[in-house]
Amino acid sequence: MLICDEYITPASLAEAFAAMETHRGHYRVVAGCTDTLPWAREGRAGDVEIPVLIDVTKIPELNEREVGDHRVRLGAATPIQRFLDDAALGCAMPAMPRCAVWFADDQIRAQATLGGNVVNASPAADATPCLEAHDAVVELSSAKGKRSMALRDFITGPGKTQLADGELVTGFECDAFPGYGGSFEKVGHRRSLVISVVCLAVMVKLDREGRTIDDTRLAIAGIRPVPRRLREIEELLRGKKLSGALLEEAADMPLDLVQSRTRQDYRRDVVRGFLVRGLIAAAKRAGASPDALTQELEAAYG
Amino acid sequence: MVDIRLNATINGRKVSRDAKPHLRLLDFLRDDLNLTGNKEGCGAGECGTCSVFVDGVLMKSCLMPVAKAQGAQIDTIESLAKSGELSVLQKAFHKAGASQCGYCIPGMVMAATAALRANPFADREEIKERLGGNICRCTGYQKIFDAVELARDVQNGRLPATALLETDTADGEVIGKSVRRIDAPSKVSGRLKYAGDMTMPGMLYVQVLRSPHAHARIVSIDTSAALAMEGVESVITSADVPGKDGFGVFVHDQPIMARDKVRYVGEAIAAVAAEDALTAKRAVAAIKVVYERLVPVFDPDEAMRVGAAVVHDYAPDNITKHIPIRVGDVEAGFAESDLVIEENYSTQAIEHAYLEPEAGLAYVDHDDVVTVVSPSQNITHHRHMLARIIARPISKVRFIMSPVGGGFGGKEDMIYQGMLALLAMKTMRPVRLVYTREESIISTAKRHPSRTTLRMGVMRDGRIRALAMRMVCDGGAYGLSTEGVMRKAAILAAGPYNIPNVRIDTFGIYTNNTPSGAFRSFGALQTQFATESHLDIIAERLGLDPFEIRRINAMRDGATTHTKQKLGSVSLMRALDAAEQASGWEAGAPAVRGPTRGDLAHDDVRPSVTLGARFGADDTQEAAE
Repeated sequence: MLICDEYITPASLAEAFAAMETHRGHYRVVAGCTDTLPWAREGRAGDVEIPVLIDVTKIPELNEREVGDHRVRLGAATPIQRFLDDAALGCAMPAMPRCAVWFADDQIRAQATLGGNVVNASPAADATPCLEAHDAVVELSSAKGKRSMALRDFITGPGKTQLADGELVTGFECDAFPGYGGSFEKVGHRRSLVISVVCLAVMVKLDREGRTIDDTRLAIAGIRPVPRRLREIEELLRGKKLSGALLEEAADMPLDLVQSRTRQDYRRDVVRGFLVRGLIAAAKRAGASPDALTQELEAAYG
Repeated sequence: MVDIRLNATINGRKVSRDAKPHLRLLDFLRDDLNLTGNKEGCGAGECGTCSVFVDGVLMKSCLMPVAKAQGAQIDTIESLAKSGELSVLQKAFHKAGASQCGYCIPGMVMAATAALRANPFADREEIKERLGGNICRCTGYQKIFDAVELARDVQNGRLPATALLETDTADGEVIGKSVRRIDAPSKVSGRLKYAGDMTMPGMLYVQVLRSPHAHARIVSIDTSAALAMEGVESVITSADVPGKDGFGVFVHDQPIMARDKVRYVGEAIAAVAAEDALTAKRAVAAIKVVYERLVPVFDPDEAMRVGAAVVHDYAPDNITKHIPIRVGDVEAGFAESDLVIEENYSTQAIEHAYLEPEAGLAYVDHDDVVTVVSPSQNITHHRHMLARIIARPISKVRFIMSPVGGGFGGKEDMIYQGMLALLAMKTMRPVRLVYTREESIISTAKRHPSRTTLRMGVMRDGRIRALAMRMVCDGGAYGLSTEGVMRKAAILAAGPYNIPNVRIDTFGIYTNNTPSGAFRSFGALQTQFATESHLDIIAERLGLDPFEIRRINAMRDGATTHTKQKLGSVSLMRALDAAEQASGWEAGAPAVRGPTRGDLAHDDVRPSVTLGARFGADDTQEAAE
């Protein structure tokens, strides 16, 4: 049970920083609360008494959304559901709708926020590898001003970030990838409401004929302390002719990706299959030529 | 505490009220506004019984601080059939038989409503996906999906509205007809009151102190600090029990709260009744218990060994129940067999996970009748046991069975009703206890975990000559239904087969694990898992079709079982024929099956699971378009 004496919902950044100053050392910032409330239960944190909760979801800056041809800027309180509802956003971040459909369930993702998912810094966070594939930058604000840093620098370990005392994550800025095909592969104990055992974000851009890989972005999570961009695979694939042999070669690169505490062999098998399947799906959505990939390959990795 | 002045529109009406800042929207709706149609099944966003619309978007109200509802328009299950007329979806749930225990159904109806609003033409796969946040434990979901498809087709004019009505039956004839359940309207509308939905004026809230240790002597319990707290009405321990303490289905070995020692993690030690749940919770935290740790025993085979920790003094060998069955001469049967095979099998503990966590309300009425309202699956037996425990004549003890939000055997035991009765007697006020999901899982019975050694002797033609089985089950800290489960396990261990020589021993064993109890099939699952698996292994060794070896040994009309029960008619052969046909079975021994599983490639087999139905079947080339 989460017990508080006061629940504050600031209407502006200034109000938020004022509340954080007033209640210094006695508050916790919350957003969607979809992780905080289950955390404060028996078996995890148990009954938790926090004097003040500061809810940042009503601050206008945290709800901003700018989708340009080259850059996307999203407020930290963006609910995950927005990636399914907003076609322009889904086009600029093509793996994100696929990720969103796997994220918790239809109801929780209406409430859960992008910022919360990143700040929790779970090794199995679903949205983080997608953002990493976009080279996302985290915007941090405090009463003193703003700073920004790369997402990969911001998350330092399981549950650990570079967020400083008195600071809020206010938003994210990242590259837009319109024209890319996106996919998101995830496995857990069931479909909905499940923590990723492995999750993989893939984006692929093909040439006009749908035969050559112009560009690709991959990031993986759930298998190591922090998400990992797969630049080695991106390098291998870039500029190459799309083929089953190429995708299998990519999946077989000896990268020692799985550094989880448990079920390493299982995860290694899944990672290999996900890489091929994710690339096939993204390539098809990017307009792959029908004869570029064989049906046998699809069946083998379907 | 700084109360929140909440202004919202709830089910179309303006509401302006003060709310405690720590409340979740679910608490505010259920406790402050008495809108109990939406339920709490888990409190952690997993089950969806609490799903409500917030500004038209379905959300889980157990994950939403009430402050987030400021200025919002909230619609609960009560909004759907406001004037009593059920919505199309509610009627479809009624028609399709989609509600069983009903506890998940308000949330399920809300999720289905949201799904058809999002896509009025959603196909079955998309419906499944959109309902992914809601759990049902009774139906297996198929009738729920049938109901949503029916509602969709009526809404879209593909089916007439009359499709929602009862099929006409001639002269009230119902056998062999599809009839609507008479209790469904109360469930699909959320109007049915489960124990946790009930309130009474002046009601107190109960919380329970539970053991953190698996095996420990209770040196002392100090409740003075808890009793001194403002708002606390009563704190009880086993010392307050006026009669002969002890309950259980067969042996009354379990006190209503731990007496002298604790035997499993989660065992109740003390209970508090207070003016509100938070005060009761804080009072529980103020109770001081001094324990002396004892060596625990967690493995039933270890518990049977000489020198193992003793869980109950009356059973120094830790045996709760041993059921032996002897028929014929088993050793002679093995000697004459062409093939003798021995294997070990094990099954695990399983939680029932009914959507309704345990809840109960108790009061002493104007005639001094101690009354307990709870979803008990065994009220008459509970009534007799409670009368003895509280030292009242049976005429002064009353049990009322509230709607059971899923039981599956898990609500057969009188785990908490004794504490409620005692608190009602102490305070002379109504008292209510509602378990959290965590409490339900930690403290109530599970399916018996089992280890079985099975030896079977067969002739080359497949006839079974002898069966010897020894099963050891972990009964946990208390007896509950263990004796009955061991009996049933032994009675059904040899399956529906003619076996001339049988030796069966089933053992229920005390350990310091969570007690095991009744759970669907009541012991049959554990032994038959072994017997049926064994038959498949033998079929492979003999080169027989698994169906064939069962037909060779099947009991027929007039057979006598190994416990000497004469069977008038036996439907096994018909069941085997039906199963063989329905499964698309490939005839032959298991070992000769080819690499292509023909039996897995027919229309009734579901494809592997994925998500993304809402993107459509042809979701390729999005970027190119």
